[in-house]
Amino acid sequence: MDSGLVFPLLVAGRLLLAFNIPPDTLKYDQQLSSPLTSHLRLQEGIFLYLNNIDPYSGGVFYQSPLFLSLFSTILPTSRVACSILWTLCDAIGALALVRIWRFRQRVASSTRDGLIAALYLLNPYLSLPAFALSTSTIDNTLTLLTLMFASQGKKSLSLLTLAFVIQLSLSSILLLVPIFMLLLSGPVSHLASPHPFSFSAKRVLPLLIEFITYSIVLMIASTTVSGSWAWIPKTWGVSLGLPDLTPNPGLWWYFFTEMFDHFRPFFLMVFSVHLIIYIFPICIKFQHDPLYAAFLLTGVLGTFKAYLTLSDPGLFLSMMPLFPEIYPYLAHPIVTGLLHLHASLLLPLFHHLWISQGTGNANFFYASTLVFGMANGAALVDCTWAGLRIAIGRNKEGYEVVQE
Amino acid sequence: MASSRERERFDEDLHIRPLRDGKVASTFSFTTLLQDASPRDPLSLAYDDESQHYTLFPLALGQILRTYAITELHLALNAGKWRYESWGFPEEPGVGTGAELWAWMGDGASTTIDERWQGLRNALAGLFCASLGSMDDQRTTSPFLTFTPEGSLPNATLPYRLRHATLPSEHVCTENLTPFLKLLPCKSLSGLARLLNPHRLFDADWHGMSVHVTWREGQGVEVRLIFQTVIDPIRNSGGKRRDWSFESLFGRVVENRCPVATTSRVRIQLPSEETYAILPDPTSNADNIATYDTSVGQDPLDVSMRWPEEYAFQYQITALDLPEIPLTPLTLQRTLIGSSQAQGQLSIVIQNTLSSQIQTIYLETMPWLVQLYIHTLQIHCNGVQRNDLISNLSYTPSVPHARPAILQSVLTLPPKSTLRLTFDITKSFLRYTEHPPDAQRGWDLPPAVFVPIISVGNRSDVLPRLYTPTLLVDLATPDFSMPYNVIILSCTLMTLIFGSIFNLLTRKFVIVDLKQGKEQKGS
Repeated sequence: MDSGLVFPLLVAGRLLLAFNIPPDTLKYDQQLSSPLTSHLRLQEGIFLYLNNIDPYSGGVFYQSPLFLSLFSTILPTSRVACSILWTLCDAIGALALVRIWRFRQRVASSTRDGLIAALYLLNPYLSLPAFALSTSTIDNTLTLLTLMFASQGKKSLSLLTLAFVIQLSLSSILLLVPIFMLLLSGPVSHLASPHPFSFSAKRVLPLLIEFITYSIVLMIASTTVSGSWAWIPKTWGVSLGLPDLTPNPGLWWYFFTEMFDHFRPFFLMVFSVHLIIYIFPICIKFQHDPLYAAFLLTGVLGTFKAYLTLSDPGLFLSMMPLFPEIYPYLAHPIVTGLLHLHASLLLPLFHHLWISQGTGNANFFYASTLVFGMANGAALVDCTWAGLRIAIGRNKEGYEVVQE
Repeated sequence: MASSRERERFDEDLHIRPLRDGKVASTFSFTTLLQDASPRDPLSLAYDDESQHYTLFPLALGQILRTYAITELHLALNAGKWRYESWGFPEEPGVGTGAELWAWMGDGASTTIDERWQGLRNALAGLFCASLGSMDDQRTTSPFLTFTPEGSLPNATLPYRLRHATLPSEHVCTENLTPFLKLLPCKSLSGLARLLNPHRLFDADWHGMSVHVTWREGQGVEVRLIFQTVIDPIRNSGGKRRDWSFESLFGRVVENRCPVATTSRVRIQLPSEETYAILPDPTSNADNIATYDTSVGQDPLDVSMRWPEEYAFQYQITALDLPEIPLTPLTLQRTLIGSSQAQGQLSIVIQNTLSSQIQTIYLETMPWLVQLYIHTLQIHCNGVQRNDLISNLSYTPSVPHARPAILQSVLTLPPKSTLRLTFDITKSFLRYTEHPPDAQRGWDLPPAVFVPIISVGNRSDVLPRLYTPTLLVDLATPDFSMPYNVIILSCTLMTLIFGSIFNLLTRKFVIVDLKQGKEQKGS
């Protein structure tokens, strides 16, 4: 089919679905929106903000003050308008993903465009949170826009969107290094031909200063909007301190529900540092292809992030079509696929059994989050393997590739 | 000695009211007045207190009041649900289920209000053997519109602060009554307190005790100890007659009077439209109230009341189409809707039974366990959405693990109308150490409080507070035997993925020639 026709059709289909899903069925679903991304909490925050009650004085609203100012002024809050806005966000995200693919391949258009857009727009991990109006959809779109601008070489735009993403969700700071590398080299695939990455401090420093300037401007804007610095512990601090233990498909919530009180700060530190520890090894090993490093770090976020929702691993999985060259080298794609299938069936089932039905207990849902973590981990490990293995080339008769 | 007797005054009073459902409500009140005394100035907390000498005033309570410079104090411990529709307003308005403590304190002392509040809670917990110490920051609020001072506040230059906390799951029993009786000058040996027989009191349909300390300008510091019960004489008489006497209600009679009591009287509310007989003859009888003065007349006193024309008490059959006319202008219902352990809806139904408009202050205190969503507030009046009926909304959101939410507002109830308020709520997920040992029982939510204000022309009457029944909320529980398993399983998964990735990232790929066994460098 003509790729020019595919995209409008997909968006129209998504809109149709968004309007036909009963509004309240997904609103409370804890797998689709976390306390940090819930639309219900966003509406409560806007209500408090418009009624001159500081939303950050309580424990309901953990989203950025930027959302407060946008949704209380220009952006609509009615159900129908939000459905359109969220579908539009996903459409922009899909377009950004298609353009990243074009920049990586250095083509103006390709037959694969439609497929890439379809895998983004029809990915249930991404579309269900969008139907639930989770703000993680906006985070994902901005992340993809950042990568798109960086691939395009538009330095200021990409640094600005990156500052926005980090403002909205602190853990996206993992993408800072690969995006800088992307700006300094380029998005073109060098997975099969590794070469050292060279850079000069002269080129990095202006970028860094520009990024810090944007961040500071956004922080000042946030502080002006909310009237105090209280938003920092209530947005960024929450993803580090985990005050709300609402279940989600991630690994943090049950761990810290069951954690002994005197070990809590230590393990919170360990879990946060564990996220950061991946940045440099991945960026050093994949210095020849920073887009791939960014892709792997998205996978790390989609596995280990605090307040994980389905849209975080969804972003990682929907970025996979950008790297078709690694497919022949994937070691266990079927196992990964089956694990995902297994987890996506178990998660809603066991959540329902525990929370609504009352016939299962918390361990049921916890077990399915472990399976989901395993599925995401398997995908991440396999992509790392394939990204490195591709440099050796095809197996020849009589030879075997092993690790030293 | 003589001078201190003049400074202190002790009065006791018993008010008995037969209720229309056959039950009998009794209110014991013991008032000690410390004449011309004033509460301790909070500014003097930095220095040693001047010594106090009491003869009738309860020393244990007096010491607590002085130590923390409390101006006004109200403590209530109640068990059961007060049925406003058939019992009307209670003599003493604080009838919310469980424990309720509120105090007004002057600010500006060397110790902070919250330190003094904490000390007060712990001291009263020790004095009354109740778990008041657990009324911590997670339960403390300051709803100053609803809980206005009942006495006067001295020295208006100091800012006065309110601290209020409820403990709806607290129960009342003998261990609370014993220290309560010890505060009385005659204990339960003589006077009306003789009737406070724990075996009968704690068998009642409803019972509650309360302590009220107020300061009244020109009079002094007053301590009122109140015990209220609602006893069912029909149950004790084999399901037939509602006749009662002191002996049948309390298992005791007033044998001798308390010698230090200035006045000691028993007041009986008499029925207006029924035939009854009351023995012995009252000392005085006015406005349908029979009064007995225990200081005159022969001891012992055993008042009894009979309905001679009634063979068996006829319960009023409350048909759905013809409900009983409630005795209060408002009837309240509060329910949690939804079976899910993650979310639900809070619904409050208020009925105005008068044919005139009523305004009411509405106070909702919600522990952080239940998260209110104010933007989902909907008000339906007789089925029609009327969000304009709520005004003066003030809201403090809750903070997880720290502070409850508090919502104060004014509702306007049109004549003969039913108002239905709904909020969406979500239920919190707690750390496993935050659950009580009986985690599956659920959590008690404190009652909502309503203060009706009836305006007639330019005058407005503030009626006593009304409490809704408490609610039980079912929170999802983790598996309490799992801490080690969860730590081990989650950490295993993380190390597995971490290990695999770092194994790939740190080790080089090499090509092995299988035939020659030689190694060739790869990447």
